[in-house]
Formats: sequence, structure tokens, C-alpha cells
Amino acid sequence: MILEVLKVTKTFALGAERVVALEDLDLFLDEGDFATVIGSNGAGKTTLLNVIAGHYRPDRGRVRLAGQDVTRWPVHRRAYFIGRVFQDPLQGTAAHMTVAENLALARKKGARALVPLLTARRRRFIMEAVASLEMGLERRLSEKVAHLSGGERQALTVLMAILTRPKLLLLDEHTAALDPANAEKVLVITERLVAEQQLTTLMVTHRMDQALAVGNRLIMMHKGRIVLDLGEQEKRRFRVEDLVGLFRKVGVSDDALLLTANGEGGIGTMAEEAKKQAHLL
Amino acid sequence: MLVLHAAEQGLIYGLMALGVYLSFRVLAFPDLSVDGTLPLGAAVAGILILRGVHPLWAGLAGAGAGALAGTLTGVLATRLRIPGLLAGVLTMIMLYSLNLRIMGRPNLSLLGKPSALVYLAQGLGTPRAYENLVAVGIFALVAAGLLLLFLHTEVGATLRAVGQNPELVRTLGTNPHNFLILGLALSNGLVGLAGALVAQYSGFADVGMGVGTIIAGLASVIVGEILLRPQSLLAAVAAALVGSVVYRLAISVALRYGAVLGFTASDLRLLTALVVLGALAAPALRAAWKGETP
Ligand SMILES: Nc1ncnc2c1ncn2[C@@H]1O[C@H](COP(=O)(O)OP(=O)(O)OP(=O)(O)O)[C@@H](O)[C@H]1O
Ligand SMILES: [Mg+2]
Repeated sequence: MILEVLKVTKTFALGAERVVALEDLDLFLDEGDFATVIGSNGAGKTTLLNVIAGHYRPDRGRVRLAGQDVTRWPVHRRAYFIGRVFQDPLQGTAAHMTVAENLALARKKGARALVPLLTARRRRFIMEAVASLEMGLERRLSEKVAHLSGGERQALTVLMAILTRPKLLLLDEHTAALDPANAEKVLVITERLVAEQQLTTLMVTHRMDQALAVGNRLIMMHKGRIVLDLGEQEKRRFRVEDLVGLFRKVGVSDDALLLTANGEGGIGTMAEEAKKQAHLL
Repeated sequence: MLVLHAAEQGLIYGLMALGVYLSFRVLAFPDLSVDGTLPLGAAVAGILILRGVHPLWAGLAGAGAGALAGTLTGVLATRLRIPGLLAGVLTMIMLYSLNLRIMGRPNLSLLGKPSALVYLAQGLGTPRAYENLVAVGIFALVAAGLLLLFLHTEVGATLRAVGQNPELVRTLGTNPHNFLILGLALSNGLVGLAGALVAQYSGFADVGMGVGTIIAGLASVIVGEILLRPQSLLAAVAAALVGSVVYRLAISVALRYGAVLGFTASDLRLLTALVVLGALAAPALRAAWKGETP
């Protein structure tokens, strides 16, 4: 078992009110699992990733990584096990350092030495790694990351996040800020790299078609709980309409649903379709 | 003479400008403690020289004292979560009292005492008129070279990343706070060394000599950036030194010939602040000129 989230509760104080972001949540990921996570706005998806990565400490419950209880570990210590990509492409790189320097920094976790960052050998390693993205970045190693497009930058971030073969990869809507073509590209790259290295992955997405198409598990969250956990077989049989129906069943309003289904192409229209059907009923 | 003196001062204070470049630009940390670390370096070196310590060791001790002060600012800003500006101010204030204690009085005269600059220059057989220039040039270039090499190491590159994206550094399994502390120690070490050399160069250490250091340092860094428009680390480090020399030259000219326009030495800080203000406000002014609203 790579990841064990055990009866985790996390609440936030919002003025006098308390928001329960995660409630008694259990989640287990086996080695090689690739789980997609969906849920309406405020369902607790980002909070779950933050609790796993160590940005928040749960009020109750434990988090275990690769068999070790990491509940009280700080972020940078857990980072040995975890690769993470955020929604914002600016968040995963150092903008004023070069492509090569960014990758060289991401080459290892933890302790840094007083040795040159870029040696000929490391350059070769970086060159090979970045060429695997098939974006032509291997010819732009000395360029500052700030000069890259959002898609290129996010692809680089994904590569940086997996360069040390982390035990767990956390992706939080990492294609949501990109235009459709680049989003597709980064998703394809992500799928390929995860498959190649057989990384255990937790990927939050707003797009139900993506959640169904990618990975071997699908998790639906609602109000801080996991309300659906599909395995590989069931996932194959599920359609977007089924998910829409389930969302409605747990009481997500159609408006909230439209928000979650605002992906490109088919999804928006499918949600509209479902909405129409709902009116017919 | 005027140019020679300005070059000497520009290179000595260039060490300080390198320190300010490291904190302000590389770490993106506005560190005000340098107003206290410059006289700290001078005080430590001065008192040691008066006690008969070799001036080179005294200079290094000044740098070490500066590094300790920088560590303090870093610890205040990270472990104790005091806002960066305030952490620097607190260190600066503490150092004012501490510097008085170290010296035992408001100023020390080092006239006629051995100086690391003279020692170094005579060791190289430099003609008398250029002794100071050669010596401070060696200090400045060696410090700049070491800083440049350092910034290309794993540790140095991580330091740069801390200034640009601390969260990234965290996801790489390292604590950005430790690197910020290290960076501030190095930065203030350079400033302390500058103070120690200033004391030996000018022949005295004074508890008030640090006032305005941060503004002078910033002015040097900014002037250098305007002149060289650095795109690489090498150029950026060089720009800090060049900026420092140009800045000291401009000050000398203003003092020498400004009297015609009614300037006196006491207007110096106002002028410097206006230079920094102008440079910092330039982007906003340019945008306003072009009709863009912020
Ligand atoms: N740092 C915080 N302080 C206060 N409340 C928070 C904080 N982080 C999250 N919350 C609250 O916790 C709940 C869950 O938020 P979370 O960000 O986990 O949702 P999400 O599922 O990621 O939503 P989205 O799809 O919009 O990204 C929300 O009600 C949110 O307002
Ligand atoms: Mg979220």
C-alpha cells in the first residue's frame, strides 16, 4: 500500500463558521494505481491533496506513505515520496532559471551540495529526459523558463515532478489553465510518463470524460467524503451521464454541475443534455 | 584623484553592493539589517586591529560577525515568522547598541595602524599611489568571482530558486527557510567585510557610518542594472560592482561641483534616495506616460 488516508477530518474556521472540508475520509492507493478524482467545487479535492502533501495537518486521522506514518512530517520531508503539479504553470518552476537548471534542481530530492549544478553528465541526462517530451525543449535548454508557453512550462513541470520517480504523484487540475490543444498534449504526456514509470497517481480533474478515460480508478468526492470509488472494470462501463446522474443523486444542484462539467467539447454539451433530460423527467 | 578615489570607494562598497544584490535580487528579501552590519564589520575589525590582530584576520572577523547578524535576521524572518522588513530593522536596531558596546565608544581611530589593503598591495609590490585601488580591486573581484561560482552550485542555484519560487524548493525536499538563512548570512558577511575594509581604508570606525547603507547599495545595484541590462548571472554580478563605482563617482562629482548649484554634503542622502526613487518608479512612470493604467 503506497498511500493510506485513515479517517481524516479537516475543518477550517471561516469567521464564526466552521467548514468541514474533509470528513472521516478513508482512501487507499495500491502501488501503480492511477486514480482520477472528481467532485463539485468545494468538495475537498484540493484539501485532500494538501493533507497528503503535508500543507495541512488533519484535525483527526492519519496519513501513511509507503508504510510510514507521515501525519506529522513537514512538507519538504514528505516531498521525498511525492511529486506534485499544480493548476498554475507558474507554480512548478523557477521562472528566471533556465530549462536545464530547473531540471537539474529537480533531479534529486533533499540535500544540496557545493558542487556545480550542471555538469556534462547531468546535461546529457537532462537532454534525454526533456527530449522524451517531444516538444523540442531539448534545443532550448539554456532558455529561461519564463520564455516558455504555458503548455511547455506545464509539461516541464510534470517532467520535473516525476524525475526522481516519486512513490506518489499528485496532480491538481494540472491541465485546467491551458488551452484545449495544450491541455490535451500535457495530459497525453502525463499518461505516458505515468505508464512508463508505473507511478502511483492521484489526479484531480474537473472534466468527467477525462476522469473516465484516464487511469484505473475513479473517485468522486462530495462535501468532504468519497461518495463513489470505481475500480477498473466498473469504470469502463460508466458513462458521463451516469456520473451526472450520481452527482444529482447526492444533491449537487444543476448549476454546480454545469460548473464541474465546463470542460471542452462534449462535456459541456452532455451536461446540458442531462439537464434537458432532467427537465423532461 | 577624484576618479581614483571614487573607484577605490566604489570597489570597497562594491562588496556591500554584492551583498545587497544577493538579498534583494537573488533572494527577493528586502534586508535592512545591512545598515547595522556595515558598522558591525568596521567595529569588530577596528577593535581587533587595535588589540594587535593581523588586519587580514580582523577583516575576516568582520565578515564573520556580519554573517552572524544575517543569520539572526534570517532566523527572525523564518523560524519566528517576523515580516522580513521588520526582521531586518530589528537586527539593525540591536546592532546599533551592540556596535557601541563592541567599540566601547562612538568611534575608533585606526590612523597609523596596519591595514589589510596596504599589506596586500605591498605584498604585490604595487606603486604607492595605486596601493588602495589594487588591493580593493582584488578583494572585490575575488568576492564577485566566488559569489558567481557559488550561484552556479547546487546550493547556490537552490538559493536562487528560493527567491523565485519557495514552494518549488519545498517540493524538491528541501526547506526554503534554511536556504534563506544561509543567503542572508552570506549577504551580510559581504557587507561586514565591506565595513571592515572601509574602516581600514578610511582610518576610523564610527557607530553612525552605516546610516543609508541599504539605499546606497540599492542605488548601486539599480544603476548597474540600468547601465548593463544584465541577462546573465555574470552580468548581474558585474553590474553590482560597476553600479557601485559609477554611484560613488556620481556622488564625488556632486560633492565637488554641486556647490555651484547649492548642494552640500548634507544633501547627499536626499539625492541618493531620489536616484533610487526615480529608478524604482521608472516602470510606473513609463506606463503612465504611455497612457496605460496600472
Ligand atoms: N485554507 C483554507 N481556509 C479556509 N477554508 C478553506 C481553505 N482551504 C479550503 N477551504 C474550504 O474547504 C472546502 C473545500 O475546499 P477545496 O479547495 O478542497 O475544494 P475543491 O474540491 O478543491 O474545490 P475546487 O473544485 O473549487 O478546486 C471549501 O469550502 C473551501 O472554502
Ligand atoms: Mg481545488
